[in-house]
Amino acid sequence: MRAAVLRYRVMAYVTGVVLMVLCFVGIPLQVAHHPAVANDVGVVHGILYIIYLVCAWILARGLRLAVKPTIIMLLAGTVPIMTFIVERWVTRRFINPVLTGQAQPTAPAVR
Amino acid sequence: METAGSADAAATEAPAGPVWHFLIKPRWLGWHLLMVVSFWGMGWLGDWQFHRALAGNGLSWAYTFEWPLFAVFAVVFWAKTIRDEFRIRRGEMPDPRAVAAEAENLPAGVAGAIQARSVQAASVQAGAGSPAEGEDEELSAYNAYLARLNAEVEQHGRWHGLR
Repeated sequence: MRAAVLRYRVMAYVTGVVLMVLCFVGIPLQVAHHPAVANDVGVVHGILYIIYLVCAWILARGLRLAVKPTIIMLLAGTVPIMTFIVERWVTRRFINPVLTGQAQPTAPAVR
Repeated sequence: METAGSADAAATEAPAGPVWHFLIKPRWLGWHLLMVVSFWGMGWLGDWQFHRALAGNGLSWAYTFEWPLFAVFAVVFWAKTIRDEFRIRRGEMPDPRAVAAEAENLPAGVAGAIQARSVQAASVQAGAGSPAEGEDEELSAYNAYLARLNAEVEQHGRWHGLR
């Protein structure tokens, strides 16, 4: 579970950063008739998004998320800045309860 | 989601007819429709990129393969979701909506305190050495701290409009 969380987090941040470069650097340059950045970063984001999709999907299955949060998680990789917001939301709402839920029962036994 | 969720919960408690009947409920028909539209849309986009690639746009080759991949992924997502729903309704799997609601109602610290208390009670009953009073206070203080943190964080979450 922790490995799936880590993979998802890494991909959320990498995909998010690349998408921000695409939208806030690539697109303005493309408008200014320098499409090279948008083209290259666009393809990179496309590939990263596929990996993000797989990582987010595996984590969503592991957390047994319902349909709507899963879709929000998967689509976050296509909206600028959204991966960061959704990553925090998923952590607070779903990952932390599951991880503390796993950790709590063992705590009294250790003491 | 809330009203549909409670309707679903009612349906799980008193299932009317065969299990597969949930597939033809309005909510699920909506999902099926969304699925068909998105599959068709992504297929169309792939086809469009393919024609652009043939017309000499080298960049389009990447997207020519990407869109069908997304379309296939949508089908896998849809199929797995339906399979999970069957399992939930047959009682082979806990309902994620119920689990999420529980997590929302009980902050992690409070749930942990309840769990810890029941574990402790069980160990006392089993006579397996009860923890000292001081440790119990320490644990409840820590759980209260966790609950407070959780409440603060949730309050903060409202600023993002996600709750």
